[in-house]
Amino acid sequence: MRARASAAFGLAVPAIATAACSGPQSALDPHGVEAQAVATLFWWMTLAGALIWCAVIGALVYAGRRRRRVFSARAAGRIVLWAGAVTPSVLLLILLGYGLALMPDLRPASALTANDRLHVEVVGEQFWWRVIYHRPDGPPVVSANEVRLPVGTRVAFSLKSADVIHAFWIPQLGGKMDMIPGRTNRFSLQATRAGTFRGPCTEFCGPSHALMAFAAVAMDEEAFAGWLEREAGPAVRTEGPGLDAFLANGCGACHTIRGTPADGTIGPDLTHLGARKTLAAGALPNTEAAIARFVAAPEAVKPGARMPAFGMLPEREIAAIAAYLAGLE
Amino acid sequence: MKVRINWKRAAIALAVLPVAALFVAWLGFFNVGAASGHWKITEWFLHFAMRSAVRTYALPIAPPDGPPPVGVRPAAGHYAAGCAMCHGAPGAPRGATVRAMLPAPPALTAAALADWSDAELFRIVKHGLRFTGMPAWPAQARDDEVWAMVAFLRRLPELAPRDYRSLAYGEAPPDSAGDVANRFEGALAGCARCHGRDGTGGGETVPVIAGQRPAYLAASLAAYAEGRRASGIMQLAAGQADAALFDRLARHYAGQSAPAAPPTDAAPELIERGRAIARRGIPERDVPACLGCHGRPERNPVYPGLDGQRPDYLANQLRLFAAGVRGGTPYSHLMTAFADELTVRERAALAAYFASRPAR
Ligand code: HEC
Ligand code: HEC
Ligand code: HEC
Ligand code: HEC
Ligand SMILES: [Cu+2]
Repeated sequence: MRARASAAFGLAVPAIATAACSGPQSALDPHGVEAQAVATLFWWMTLAGALIWCAVIGALVYAGRRRRRVFSARAAGRIVLWAGAVTPSVLLLILLGYGLALMPDLRPASALTANDRLHVEVVGEQFWWRVIYHRPDGPPVVSANEVRLPVGTRVAFSLKSADVIHAFWIPQLGGKMDMIPGRTNRFSLQATRAGTFRGPCTEFCGPSHALMAFAAVAMDEEAFAGWLEREAGPAVRTEGPGLDAFLANGCGACHTIRGTPADGTIGPDLTHLGARKTLAAGALPNTEAAIARFVAAPEAVKPGARMPAFGMLPEREIAAIAAYLAGLE
Repeated sequence: MKVRINWKRAAIALAVLPVAALFVAWLGFFNVGAASGHWKITEWFLHFAMRSAVRTYALPIAPPDGPPPVGVRPAAGHYAAGCAMCHGAPGAPRGATVRAMLPAPPALTAAALADWSDAELFRIVKHGLRFTGMPAWPAQARDDEVWAMVAFLRRLPELAPRDYRSLAYGEAPPDSAGDVANRFEGALAGCARCHGRDGTGGGETVPVIAGQRPAYLAASLAAYAEGRRASGIMQLAAGQADAALFDRLARHYAGQSAPAAPPTDAAPELIERGRAIARRGIPERDVPACLGCHGRPERNPVYPGLDGQRPDYLANQLRLFAAGVRGGTPYSHLMTAFADELTVRERAALAAYFASRPAR
């Protein structure tokens, strides 16, 4: 009985431990320079920790089982000095030096000088992300709830908050850094491999904190340029019953759809909503049915969400709006 | 024989007492009839207790500072429909049935009202008087209406019957409601007492409903009648009208032409500030642009027009939204979502701006 329980435990622990080693939100499956450096640091520290643990346990077993004689006072003093003070200090100093050496790449100075081509501003708001791409050529591109960046280029980020403290982290690329009201925090990221990742909000910010995330997409340089060009453009459809219902019910007071009269800036920009990976900051899959569900009762999907419910609209109007928004690729 | 009182006996007496009281009540000898009146001493005691309680409960009530309450006219209209049948009115004394109540509602003469401070009158009108038949204000959230009623009560004793009629009934003669055979005309005459037949009457706190969107008017009447929008005055008026007539009343008033907005004395900077918020909102505080919902014909028909509306009314509604007590149609939470972010000055600016726009 005991043996079986401990066998189950022995299997469960590695299974749980390795479950975190891959997947869209794992810092141990790095796709960026910073995440790679942090992952390497992690493995070195784990290795060093394991060696020290073995040495300590070895010494303990040796002292308790093998060696029955008492050390002389001088020998004991030497052991304490070398094994208890010098060795740990040297090890810690090496790790500290290694960690400090990693810092400059993640710090503001390099964030600003290393890249003058693309700069992404991300504003945390309860419970979603406003994302603005500042290009050297052309006006800023406003988007939301998704961050895209080109592989192989260092991208500068400026992080802000509109209300309470949030934190920005894409575990597979790098981070994390707090978004503090009244401050602009800067850092930079460089993706090394293409992929789609998840960025959770990592500072408790209210009832829907756990439902505040975004998709991060690293794309090849060319694909990214094409995407940004499209993202900068107006909506693909600027008429139809869905848009009419959208405007008639005042959604445009809070949301922008470029190319239409809707120019509100309270909520996420919806110009290319249909092309996003997720809906409502990672809370739902981005489907027509999910859009209808969210518009009718945002509170039911995300407690505390700052969008009023429109469940009192006739169902067919909600359906028309959802179909229109889902089509905004 | 000597009865000695000890703890045990006292406890038994205490346990038996309520049973005995129930038994006596069940026998039914106590006279609850109103005809014979109270003994003098009972009457003195009851009034003493009532006056003391009103005085004590009125202690924390402070009359609103600032200009004297507006809205005496709709208060007069409400008095005619909701109070005069008990308390009488100039030219319309209390009826015999009412005078046979116990206690009888007093005629609200100068002498009767002189005993009460404004705060005490507020307390009586808002909370009513238990065991007397004096009702509470139907909308407990609307202190502004109660203060308007207190202001009206102060004027009531000196009103000549003609002045009272014109205040309470406007242009509509008081008996027209009785004569008309047509139910719609009867209901309309009731509304006309405050709003006029053309929807422009009533004074500062009564909205111009002429030219308002019919779907909004009908939905608002239903909201008052069903208690989803708090107003002691309109809940009574809508409750007295036949709900089947709401659509026709709404269409009647929607079809009237709104008056040109009267020249405003608001400062141009105030109007300018209102215009800026109406156009762009206040994004830092999540206040959306008002014109995203209000003021375009292609918008949802339940979204009311605000152009040319009375500024006092607009500011008061924004205050009620901010306090979370406005209620309204099934769409009213759209306003509650952000109204508490507006400062008093911003509400005044918005009211001044919309009031200055040419009526819809
Ligand atoms: C008072 C402002 C306001 C109004 C009016 C409003 N919204 Fe929103 N909306 C928001 C906010 C704020 C969010 C972000 C909610 C969140 O995710 O926490 C949002 C989110 C959304 C989203 C998800 C966006 C995304 O990036 O995934 C959709 C879709 C949406 N709204 C549609 C609508 C429609 C349709 C209407 C009109 C029927 C409407 N909204 C009216 C404020 C508003
Ligand atoms: C059903 C009859 C009834 C109605 C309707 C009614 N009242 Fe009264 N009212 C009374 C009675 C009964 C008293 C208490 C008399 C007493 O205790 O001596 C009273 C007392 C008062 C008093 C205190 C007067 C005094 O000197 O004691 C005021 C003021 C008053 N009512 C105002 C109003 C107003 C304003 C309305 C309309 C909103 C109204 N009442 C509606 C029956 C009524
Ligand atoms: C005793 C006076 C009075 C009478 C009678 C009256 N009203 Fe009103 N009405 C008011 C007042 C005061 C308001 C503002 C209430 C508020 O603050 O919510 C109002 C508001 C309204 C509103 C809401 C308008 C808006 O812009 O939100 C409508 C609709 C309305 N009245 C229609 C009617 C109709 C129809 C009748 C007849 C059945 C009627 N009223 C009878 C005084 C009156
Ligand atoms: C998302 C749509 C929306 C926006 C944006 C909006 N409103 Fe409203 N507003 C409404 C609706 C719906 C009502 C009707 C509420 C009811 O009675 O059920 C209303 C009612 C009102 C009323 C009461 C009108 C009356 O006759 O009683 C006022 C005043 C008002 N709004 C002012 C504003 C102001 C000022 C702004 C901008 C700061 C604004 N609204 C923005 C939807 C909106
Ligand atoms: Cu957050």
